Amino acid sequence: MEALIIIEGLKKRYGEFTAVDGISIDINCNEIFGLLGPNGAGKTTTISMICGLLPVTEGKITFTNCNGKDKKSMIGYCPQENIFYPKLTCLEQLLFLGQMYGIPSNTVKSRAFELLNLLGLSDKTHVRASKLSGGMKRRLNICLALVHDPEILILDEPEAGLDPQSRILVRDFIKAISEKKTIILTTHNMDEAERLSDRVAIIDHGKLLLLDTPNNLKRTVGEGDVLELVLESSNESSMKTFSENIQLLNMNIKINVDAVFIKHSNIIEQLPEIKNVAERNGLKIAEIKLRENTLEDVFIHLTGRNLRQ
Amino acid sequence: MKTINIILKSLKEQIRSYWILLLSLSMGPFFIFVYFLIMESSKPQYTVLVANNDQGMLFSGQTIKHGNDLITYLKNFKVDSIALPLTVNEVTDKTMGIESLKNKKADALIIIDTTFSQSIQERKSGDSASVVNVEFVGDLTNTNYLISAVWANEIINEYALQATNNKRIVVLKETALGTSATASSFDMLVPGILIVSLIMLMFTASIAFVSEVENKTIMRLKLSKLNVFEFLAGISFVQLLVGIVSVLLTLLTAIILGFKYEGSLTIMVIIASLTSLSIIAFSLIIAAITKTANEVLVVGNFPMFLFMFFTGAAFPLKSDALFILAGYPINIQGLMTPTHAISALNKTLIMSMDISSIFPEIISILVLTMFYFLVGGIIFKQRHLKLT
Repeated sequence: MEALIIIEGLKKRYGEFTAVDGISIDINCNEIFGLLGPNGAGKTTTISMICGLLPVTEGKITFTNCNGKDKKSMIGYCPQENIFYPKLTCLEQLLFLGQMYGIPSNTVKSRAFELLNLLGLSDKTHVRASKLSGGMKRRLNICLALVHDPEILILDEPEAGLDPQSRILVRDFIKAISEKKTIILTTHNMDEAERLSDRVAIIDHGKLLLLDTPNNLKRTVGEGDVLELVLESSNESSMKTFSENIQLLNMNIKINVDAVFIKHSNIIEQLPEIKNVAERNGLKIAEIKLRENTLEDVFIHLTGRNLRQ
Repeated sequence: MKTINIILKSLKEQIRSYWILLLSLSMGPFFIFVYFLIMESSKPQYTVLVANNDQGMLFSGQTIKHGNDLITYLKNFKVDSIALPLTVNEVTDKTMGIESLKNKKADALIIIDTTFSQSIQERKSGDSASVVNVEFVGDLTNTNYLISAVWANEIINEYALQATNNKRIVVLKETALGTSATASSFDMLVPGILIVSLIMLMFTASIAFVSEVENKTIMRLKLSKLNVFEFLAGISFVQLLVGIVSVLLTLLTAIILGFKYEGSLTIMVIIASLTSLSIIAFSLIIAAITKTANEVLVVGNFPMFLFMFFTGAAFPLKSDALFILAGYPINIQGLMTPTHAISALNKTLIMSMDISSIFPEIISILVLTMFYFLVGGIIFKQRHLKLT
């Protein structure tokens, strides 16, 4: 894969406080790159530096493969907050913003109609932005980021405030345009990141903790998949022996009143052995439930459970 | 091209925010109307009482009563077809007149002597020793008495000269500058109020600039290829239009209420346009140091107050020159463009002077406008439009 954005040793300081602390990432062409982190981790600061809205304290951001395009034309930014002209209609503001990038009126007009159609806002073309619902405003925000047809689309919490239908529409839209564009998205929604991202970077306290595909992260980070055994009958001594035997197999076990939770990175392969141990100890299993290790588990494992500001 | 797009967008937003636009445009005409009412209600009017004791005289078989004729003359006296602000009422005797003076129901009392007709007739017949007696009664500390007495004295003398077939020894000729002979106090205030209507532009212009910051749409513009000059030029042009419409509406209201001007309307529009630009430039400084429309309304009050009350816009103001530059006096108020604009409008509309006579004012406005734009542009770019 060819890197489109090369970030090297990126730092941002505000006096004594370091918001971004030496992040180095290569973002490839036509990939969806997820930037995950708790509040205050440095995601928006990193994005702002990529866009050029904030000066870099240290480090370098290089854009390759520009096809003769300037940086402003290459980047489309959809901020977390819906930013638009409330007194202008959807079409008017798309036309206006396109013209601000120097795009000819005819081109920007057809692009505006196309975007409104793709994001389900066709019937709101001539409606003032202030009259739109929250979800529509969010979709208009995405349209505004794309009106000049940038190669890189930066989405800050794209699904925030969207209803399930809109969320699916936006998700499909992002997937569709990722064939031709590089997308950087920040989110708190792990499901969103997992479904959309080709690769995910988890940052906290301004530092890059891990960078890999969601599947690799789930496979390698955290306590693994979770197996829940619902028991028909059990007694204290047999339960104790079962627990000791499971721990001997290097698995984590947690015992509740009528269920047992076992965690392991490759729990499915271990399932026959677990059943044997249970039978040997006289435990009757009524039901087996399996939950895969999620990106949220990985995220919590890396960043902890403490609340952030 | 981007400037045109900014103009069109800004124009749409301005029209769609019609309440702000209406308030801004109606402020000038409203001020004109208020000043007109104030002027109308405070026009000077002097009341003179006349006690006519003249007994008249018999001449060639006819009774002549010059006392009665004098009262009629007093009541109908006009200067260049304009009636004086003098109300003449008759009283039966001196005591009644003095009572009215004490109760402030009149400003002066004129008592025509019993021998008034006789003395006039004697003078007319060539008796230069004969004296025409008229007594004036009033409160000598009261300005109204002094003005009434001066007017009454002039009219009585004029009557006496005519009645005795004599002429004045000294005839004064008064030459008025521009329309000052016919201009009323209201007329003299209108140039200042025209500038007040432009000072009100300070709020709409500041809000137009700062709304991009408040709505955070400035971020989208920063990321686009728009430059600072195109942005400022686009918004300024729309505000300039608002300013010109505002000043024309104010002038129209003034004309409807009786304002008379002599100078060129084109020069007036040029002065108004330059002043509008200077106010827009100053608004940019306000927008640069604020972030929301609310902040503009709070911060903007202070310069608006200075511009309105310390430049002669709301009412005439005199101040000493700090120094004279190329024959043009410069004072501390000269740092505010309305000072020069009002001076230019007075010269043009009241004194009907041509454009060459207002060059110093125009140059002052231009220099200050450039200074305002420079300061505002730099601060605005640093605070709101800077991109790395």
